[in-house]
Amino acid sequence: MTQQQSQSGPVDTSAANRVGGLADQTVHHRSASRRRGRPKPSMQPNLSAMIDVIFLLLIYFVTTANFTPDEGVLTAKLPQGTGKTTESLSPPQRPLNIVLSPAGEVACRISIQGYPQSPTDFTELAALLVQLQYDPDRGLRSGAFKPDSPVVIKPEAGVRWQHVANAFNAAVRARYTNINFAQVSG
Amino acid sequence: MASQIFHRGPTKPQMNITPLIDVVFLLIIFFMLVNNIISEQSVQMIVPQLDEPTTRQLLDDQGRIIVNIAPAEFANKERLDNPLLFDGEARFIRVGLQTFASDDLGGVTAALLEARSAFPDAEVVLRSDGALYYGVVQPVMGAITRAGIDTINLAAYMPERGAATVLIGE
Repeated sequence: MTQQQSQSGPVDTSAANRVGGLADQTVHHRSASRRRGRPKPSMQPNLSAMIDVIFLLLIYFVTTANFTPDEGVLTAKLPQGTGKTTESLSPPQRPLNIVLSPAGEVACRISIQGYPQSPTDFTELAALLVQLQYDPDRGLRSGAFKPDSPVVIKPEAGVRWQHVANAFNAAVRARYTNINFAQVSG
Repeated sequence: MASQIFHRGPTKPQMNITPLIDVVFLLIIFFMLVNNIISEQSVQMIVPQLDEPTTRQLLDDQGRIIVNIAPAEFANKERLDNPLLFDGEARFIRVGLQTFASDDLGGVTAALLEARSAFPDAEVVLRSDGALYYGVVQPVMGAITRAGIDTINLAAYMPERGAATVLIGE
């Protein structure tokens, strides 16, 4: 193939010189430079400009690749089956029910079923949940609920998800391990 | 043409950058596609902002199936300042790249079953806007349960970097 090209090259040049036209101009140019003994120009296209642009694009996409960086997750257990919210182990444990009901459009009221205290925010809720916990390993003897007692978050339908997630987070902070969500009530 | 050059004495040495360009092009295409897929899978929303969060980063090497419950569209910037003032109804539900109507819970369950059969170890992430009502989110959790999934990851904002999260009663 190369040999064929090298042989046909000069023939083509002379033919182009004779005929003239666009091909003739380029060929003529090359032969002129050859005559003057200058280093023949490279036939490779200059790619630096393209590489510049490509690198810019690359850097742009690398830096804007947003893998949802500021979001984390809270791992929660879901009730297996449909209607059930707590696992019926033997003996059944008394669940700790955190009740959330809407207060106006945005806020929510927090209470724990069977206890008079009503925390005003979720930091207070977490502190109260610690008080209600019985865990001698951590010096907690005041409460009635073990860390693995079922905790059920019972929001009404109109409570914003933010508050539900916050209540869940409070229970996780208080080191409860068996936290469930109740079916919609009210 | 090329053979003409080779026949005429020494040439200037030039680096062959063709493989470099090949690789760079591949990288560009990869990042463009990944960007699109990520933004497709993550619907725009304001996930819950917690008081003293205990959220953890989901590891990248675990596959994840993202269930989005999309809020009403972001019409104005006011929404970012007061996210809870806005409508708490869901616009649609998206499982992976499939979109369902907000009441099509059977479709959500079917999509999750299909996704779990393809990726049995994948973790399910529930992304829901903080403003949505619990009455909207809970049925979706029920649909996830019916797909035989018992553990779910709730998306929420991470604590600021550097801020230590101290568990109560330490």
